[in-house]
Amino acid sequence: MLSVLSPVSGTAVGLSEVPDPVFAQGMVGPGTAILPRNGRQEAVAPIAGRVAKLHAHAFVVVGEGGRGVLVHLGIDTVKLNGEGFERLVDEGADVEAGQPLIRWDPAEVAAKGMATVVPVVALDAGHDVISRAVAGEVEKGSQLFQWA
Amino acid sequence: MAERRVKVESEVGLHARPAALFVGAAAKAGGDVTVAKGDGSPVSAKSILAVMSLDVRHGDEIVINAESEELLDELAAIANAG
Repeated sequence: MLSVLSPVSGTAVGLSEVPDPVFAQGMVGPGTAILPRNGRQEAVAPIAGRVAKLHAHAFVVVGEGGRGVLVHLGIDTVKLNGEGFERLVDEGADVEAGQPLIRWDPAEVAAKGMATVVPVVALDAGHDVISRAVAGEVEKGSQLFQWA
Repeated sequence: MAERRVKVESEVGLHARPAALFVGAAAKAGGDVTVAKGDGSPVSAKSILAVMSLDVRHGDEIVINAESEELLDELAAIANAG
């Protein structure tokens, strides 16, 4: 059982609240989404492992058994070309669960007219392997869901 | 098997959304479906982790292998949309 931690503090609302059908319908994978609190903050690794992909606005950490978790900071934020995002580690780095990876401010994303919601998705996972997903207030670094 | 070389016109490359659509289409098909970036090693087009890890950007060339031309048409269209 892999414990997936929340990368940000805020309110867990579920993937269905993500204003992008590909995430909302679970096509990227099962998981949940968090409405982050505003203010400059650090998004942290949801699991221990290797940072397989590090964009300014999104990252994938691959942990034990090759399981990958995608964290996407806001929707359509690829269009910001990294503006307002600061990478705190290099791609390929080995990180601990809860280690800060990207510094950003959801308020800046909202000011650009984009959704700040943060999908946290188990990649290549069946929809029945996610359990104990937290709903409501969640602190970064605390358990968000379990991956069987 | 059929092969297609495609220049990716998707503005964001095969990132989260196009990658999910690409993998979703590939996963519905029977048989192996692979994708490679340029002349790199092919990976399973049915794995979103594998496809996202290819880091395909706008303007990159990908090589898709699948059993049918219809599927290649569909995958090429996804790589060029958005």
